[in-house]
Amino acid sequence: MEVVQKEHSRLLKRTEGSQGIKNVQSAIDSLQSARDAIAADPSTASATLATLHNSVKSSFDSINASLKETHSGLNKYTKSLDKLFKDRPLPSTDDDDLSSHETLINRAIAMHLLREGQFGVAATFLSEIAEEKRMYPVSQNERVPTNTTASLLDIDEVPSTEIRKQFASMYYILQQLQENRNLLPAIEWSRENREALEARGSNLEFELCRLQFVWLYHGGANSQGTASGWLAALEYARQEFHLFVPRYLREVQQLVGAMAYSSNLSESPYAALFNNTSSAWDDVAHFFNREFCSLLGLSADSPLYIAATAGAIALPTLLKLQTIMKSKRTEWTSDNELPVEIPLPPQYLFHSIFVCPVSKEQATDENPPMMMPCGHVIAQESLKRLGKGNRFKCPYCPSESHPKDAKKVFL
Amino acid sequence: MAAELTSTKLNPESHIILDQPLLRLPLELARRNFKTVQRAVEREKEYVIPAIKEAAAASLSNTQTPEQTLAALDAMISRMQSLKRKMEGLQEEEKKIHSQSRKRIQHLETLHKIPSLADVKYDQWSRVRLDRLLVDHMLRSGYSESAKQMAQDRGVEDLVDLGVFTQAKRIVDSLRRGETKEALQWCGENKAALKKSPQNLEFELRLQQYIEMVRTQDKSKRIEAIIHAKKYLIPNYQAQNSDIMRAAGLLVFTQDTRAEPYKSLFARERWKFLADLFIETHHELLSLPAQPLLHIALSAGLSALKTPLCHSAYTSSSSNSQSTSTSVCPICSTELNELARNMPYAHHSKSYVESDPIVLPNGRVYGKQRLIEMSRNMGTVKPGDVKDPTTGQVFHEGEMKKVYIM
Repeated sequence: MEVVQKEHSRLLKRTEGSQGIKNVQSAIDSLQSARDAIAADPSTASATLATLHNSVKSSFDSINASLKETHSGLNKYTKSLDKLFKDRPLPSTDDDDLSSHETLINRAIAMHLLREGQFGVAATFLSEIAEEKRMYPVSQNERVPTNTTASLLDIDEVPSTEIRKQFASMYYILQQLQENRNLLPAIEWSRENREALEARGSNLEFELCRLQFVWLYHGGANSQGTASGWLAALEYARQEFHLFVPRYLREVQQLVGAMAYSSNLSESPYAALFNNTSSAWDDVAHFFNREFCSLLGLSADSPLYIAATAGAIALPTLLKLQTIMKSKRTEWTSDNELPVEIPLPPQYLFHSIFVCPVSKEQATDENPPMMMPCGHVIAQESLKRLGKGNRFKCPYCPSESHPKDAKKVFL
Repeated sequence: MAAELTSTKLNPESHIILDQPLLRLPLELARRNFKTVQRAVEREKEYVIPAIKEAAAASLSNTQTPEQTLAALDAMISRMQSLKRKMEGLQEEEKKIHSQSRKRIQHLETLHKIPSLADVKYDQWSRVRLDRLLVDHMLRSGYSESAKQMAQDRGVEDLVDLGVFTQAKRIVDSLRRGETKEALQWCGENKAALKKSPQNLEFELRLQQYIEMVRTQDKSKRIEAIIHAKKYLIPNYQAQNSDIMRAAGLLVFTQDTRAEPYKSLFARERWKFLADLFIETHHELLSLPAQPLLHIALSAGLSALKTPLCHSAYTSSSSNSQSTSTSVCPICSTELNELARNMPYAHHSKSYVESDPIVLPNGRVYGKQRLIEMSRNMGTVKPGDVKDPTTGQVFHEGEMKKVYIM
């Protein structure tokens, strides 16, 4: 990379110092002066023309010299790029499974734009897709997504549907929260969705109210504007916290109890509870974002972003694999599983993974994990192979059991 | 040799596989620009130098009046001036290309300063990359307005190639409308580079012109077609002999013929073929990958993330919208679920489960601590009970059984 940078700055310098145009100008100048000389005195024409020939020729020579220099600069830069990307070609493009799913990809992009709050771009994008469909109606051989949530997001309807409104309201709430430190829209939303949130065991509403309390305590203006500081906080607690008492008794007690220390709270054991820094706000905003998306059945971060990033991380490994397989002339026989392990950062693991310790295969619907009475888990196929219908010893402990005593578990 | 399950190591040199076109394209443009300059200079040199010689010889032998000499010089001056103007324009262009390359190199260079994949800066960098990939995809799909708007909104104009793709789209549109003029003009501009191309775009375009002339069934037009064929098609007889034969045969058919291959020569779909051929040739010439980079990134990413659970008939207990401490998996999320259906899933050689797993009587496995905390947060669960967040069943804490996952 450094070499590339160096070659490029060299090339840039050459371009800026290029004498090409200056030399053209000098050729023009000598032509012009020759013309003037001949016009003034036609008798000198042949002598003037002879010298003119030489000077114009030398001008062209220096133009070519400077061109040559640029050319060698370009070549050197090309070479440095070749070296940088040597052994790193883009993956071969023979089978592009995704190109037959253009609609699905466009839908994913539209959703990504909406969830990132780029409503303007999303609108243009969708209208251009509609325009294209109108102009070139191609026979759609693509498999139409069948599940119901997918049809809710049908690309033609995205601009007008629920999902767009939902994201718009999410952005409004987030903006209020982050820029104006106004939690009220978020709290209102969490109240409207209290049941769903509770079913998830989510304490979003409480977290929001808690932050509101802390914010009021630190002097944030409340909606009535009557009191400020800890009085406003207490007032707020009296109005709202009774709802939380059954579930968050301890937390509420702590928050209200801390008021006794209000003269020097930062020295008190409660200091940590009253964190009003921007990181606390960011955490709450992130939390809200995640809960909001989860209720829509969507992941909190844009799946497109995660997938593209994971793809970039995985590519070097996959590419190496492709080269090895080509040179060994082998083919990967199981086409529903990648042949190599791709280490991703831990936050990219979303599911539990069960790999049978006996067969080293990943559990699937057809080959689910089975728990033996001793509590050890192996895959169903391994269980069949080990037990052959008779009692057998667990491969990991001395206990014996019958295959039919094993129980299917869900990870 | 079990590879590590997770890793946050960032190797910037191999991480930029996807970003080759980012630097390659401006280089190709710079080369093209350079060649144009070179050609222009060469042409003027070949005109002006002999012209001076001629004038000198003529004035020596007195076969030319001074007025004629002056006129010849004036012509030379005006040609040189137009050369200068042309070069100035091209130099501007060159500067633009180089400063764009510079920004791109800087963008890639920042990657070297990022310590690991877990760093916030990597997150930002990767978001810029996604923006780039999306704009690239939009441009390739012909949604130039969206691409332009997005590039502006996200401030990545220097990292995407709006100009190149917009120009290409204009030509594609003209082909889809049934016009060959712009495409032929493009072929003319890139004549030298096209010689190496395995596709003969220009021949196909000329053939289409011929087909259109034959289609009219007008006598004079057909004579014109034959002249056209002699001029543009016949010179390619070595490579395209059978095509030329077919073109000759076309003369005796009308456009509603059902005989192949003449039927498909007359077919409207041929324009689409030409548009596709143009894109293929164009991308090849500028060393642009044939498929959108987004596809490459996505297909690798979908596989790397996918697990057998993503399309399982049973709701996964470790990741679903009902459980709070995990977020929804991107593959399970509606946006990508269908797309990933036919992809292979990632290979794992080690199990990865929550710490201290327990199993409930219904067979669901959870991390003990997480399950208890979650149940406590659900107002409706009695103390001492736990609620399965996937199925909603309530069990007593005593019913949790330790499970061993190796």
